[in-house]
Amino acid sequence: MSTYTLRVNGQSHSVDVAPDTPMLWVLRDSLGFVGTKYGCGIGECGACTIHVDGVPKRGCQTPVSSVGSAAITTIEGIDPAGAHPLQQAWVELDVPQCGYCQAGQIMTAAALLKRTPQPTDADIDKAMGGNLCRCGSYVRVRAGIKRAAEIASAVTPAKRTGGL
Amino acid sequence: MKRSFDASKAVDRRGFIKASALASGGLLVGTYLRFGPTSAFAEGAPGAAATFEPNVFISISSTGAVSIIAPNSEMGQGIKTGLPMIVAEELDVAWEKVVIVQGDLNPAYGRQSSVGSGSTIANYTPLRRAGATARAMLIEAAAGTWNVPAGECTTDKSFVIHATSNRRLSYGDLAAKAATLTAPANSPLKDPANFKLLGTRVPGVDNQKVVTGAPLFGIDVKLPGMVYATYTKCPVFGGKPVSANLDEVKTKLGVRDAFILDGIDGLTPGVAIVADSTWNAFSATNALKVQWNEGPVASQNSAEMAKQAEALAKATPPDALPAGATSIEAVYHYPFLAHATLEPQNCTALFKNGTMEMWTPTQMPVAGQSLVTRGLGIAPKDVVVHITRLGGGFGRRGSNEFSLEAAVIAKRLEGTPVKLMWTREHDFAHDNYRSNGWHYFNAGLDGSGKVVALHDAFVKMQGGPGDMSAGGFPFIAIPGSQVKSSKLPAGIPTGYWRAPGDNGNTWATQSFVDELANAAGRDPVAYTMDLLAAVPGATGAGAGRGGFDPAKMTAVLKLATEKAGWTRSHPRGQGQGFAITHTNNAYVAIVADVDVSKAGELAIKKLTAVVDAGTIINLSAAENQVQGAMLDGISAAWFQKILIEHGAAGQTNFDEYPMLRMNHSPPVVEVHFMKSLAPPTGLGEPGLPAAAPAICNAIFAATGKRIRTLPIVDSDLKWS
Repeated sequence: MSTYTLRVNGQSHSVDVAPDTPMLWVLRDSLGFVGTKYGCGIGECGACTIHVDGVPKRGCQTPVSSVGSAAITTIEGIDPAGAHPLQQAWVELDVPQCGYCQAGQIMTAAALLKRTPQPTDADIDKAMGGNLCRCGSYVRVRAGIKRAAEIASAVTPAKRTGGL
Repeated sequence: MKRSFDASKAVDRRGFIKASALASGGLLVGTYLRFGPTSAFAEGAPGAAATFEPNVFISISSTGAVSIIAPNSEMGQGIKTGLPMIVAEELDVAWEKVVIVQGDLNPAYGRQSSVGSGSTIANYTPLRRAGATARAMLIEAAAGTWNVPAGECTTDKSFVIHATSNRRLSYGDLAAKAATLTAPANSPLKDPANFKLLGTRVPGVDNQKVVTGAPLFGIDVKLPGMVYATYTKCPVFGGKPVSANLDEVKTKLGVRDAFILDGIDGLTPGVAIVADSTWNAFSATNALKVQWNEGPVASQNSAEMAKQAEALAKATPPDALPAGATSIEAVYHYPFLAHATLEPQNCTALFKNGTMEMWTPTQMPVAGQSLVTRGLGIAPKDVVVHITRLGGGFGRRGSNEFSLEAAVIAKRLEGTPVKLMWTREHDFAHDNYRSNGWHYFNAGLDGSGKVVALHDAFVKMQGGPGDMSAGGFPFIAIPGSQVKSSKLPAGIPTGYWRAPGDNGNTWATQSFVDELANAAGRDPVAYTMDLLAAVPGATGAGAGRGGFDPAKMTAVLKLATEKAGWTRSHPRGQGQGFAITHTNNAYVAIVADVDVSKAGELAIKKLTAVVDAGTIINLSAAENQVQGAMLDGISAAWFQKILIEHGAAGQTNFDEYPMLRMNHSPPVVEVHFMKSLAPPTGLGEPGLPAAAPAICNAIFAATGKRIRTLPIVDSDLKWS
């Protein structure tokens, strides 16, 4: 056991855990940030995606001992009011089905929008390829990212078309 | 831990539910819910105590706050939103002001099992009655207040209105008076043509919680003093532990206890490890060394099963084809599939003062309760089941072995809450798989290409769903059709996987019909239309037999081909294919547009689905279900197989069992619903079965290559 002082969602937290404990479980079991989900434990599914200094990382592949003083952001922390453009778009377009993967989808998409504010389909395919959705909500995830890009740039929304 | 479950708030304001007339006319005898519907995670409650509780589903306070119970398990099918919408429609309440509360397991709620696409079918009328009864009582209260005939009053958005005198009273104002009235026996239901809420797009009631990471799922449950457990079973099905390095495991960081469990009714023997965190429990589990008695299933493997299937099919030959018929033969095979819900199986249990209280992500809470009752000898009334949100169901969470595993460990640790967590690897290795299956088809075509006989020797694992009969399409369209079924020896556990039976058998039959059409030199759409017209009774409205209405099937196929722009004229490497299914009483036609590169890379360009599912409850959720089910069917057909090796699953994580990703997801997915006032059919599953054969038929149209073995990825699609 070792003691680590972590910066999560802008606040300092102290935890006493084994050095190899993945951030996924530190966040969930020690700190109560349960929005970060366990799906595979091997970095294949993306349900545990968090930001480490703004870069999306797999929480299950990020040992607590590797984090140091980096700023950790979880789904609970990407917007103080839960109104990030992606969160707004997800609710507006009713993106979630079971919802289990969606925190990871949003965390990956948030990093995409930060570097590419108006992503193309190809940008989305490339960025989101690491996030599995067992329910097959990809059609609306893709639409949700585009809608969030509109919200973020305050562009008047395009009229919704069939199939959504 | 501010975001986690707080047990001190578990006692809900409703506390005891009063004995009251059930919407269905029965009597709820009701002190069952000692803990109330906790819904585990602080669902917003109305600001004031309920004043008017006309039945177990509805409560209205004098402030006008309305809460409606969602009785079934939310696993992505939208049922937590959809069922309360049915109540709200008949109650005529302002939806945006309603608070939805997840119900616990309670016999008063009726059918709480969310399986077989049956939740809406089973609850539609009882929930309409619940809403209509409450509305009638509110009207009666207003009419009495105003001294006008009830028949002159209308309702809208939580108000009773007397238009001629221009008076209105809110439901909150009327709640106290309505509570003094006797519930009428048979309140009239709305004409579905006048529905205002049903059929519109209503976002899921928990969406904001989902997108902000609020605790909702079974895995999110946290109780004070909770410990974390794993339960390791023999990788070989039917095996059991002989001994284990328990003393060594107990020395690992954070481990509280480790023990072998055996001899409990319904529980697969295994090794429990209890620790102070999930990670410490997982780490200790990695250090666990068990000597197993593997048992007889160790001799089973997928390669051997294929040989056995062929022998069984040959041992049950069909009758001879009619004289002069041209024989078309083909063998179709689909593999075992895992459910792979993204949330691995888990359950939290606390045994205290003789009561087992459980927080369970389950599709069948009553089955979990029953397992615990049988295994531990605790009376059903002492097994309290809170239903959490489910990180996917797909049939996996109909079985409840995780409930019993958690309960057995919790009983041993009396007074301490236990969260049982399966690793992803354990989840893959201990599934109830979709059975593998083989179809040995032999069809006879006459000189005009018309099919005059269709024979199918079908083989699957013993046990579980998925049997074939000649009672479905296309067999019923062809006189003298035969299906002969054989079973492989039991051993590998199989179970309900989204659209049981149809998920593999529709792929085989709809692919083979496409083969027959091509052998006959006909357009497959026209060929299928002819077959539908040949179903006995197909001429008359609503005709057909066995619940199958060929007119409805024909209508959805016709519309799907129109919407998709059906054509057989494509450059090589591009193709369209279609398939149809009648599943859970819904009618679905899917047209797929695919590209296959010369190198053999498959790309799905577009999916067009037309669905007749009767009345649509929530258009947004309905679309989600059909889109998701199609992608689910395609994901499985394209990439997935579980191979049994040495009596165990050979694939235990997503690196070995790929799943459809964003880059393989078609850019255009259209879903069209037939306008209908008929009662709702099932809709969680019907979108799945026709997706895979539509893709495979499109691949044939593009390349001339017929996929007869799944997954598709095992076939070489190169062409030149």
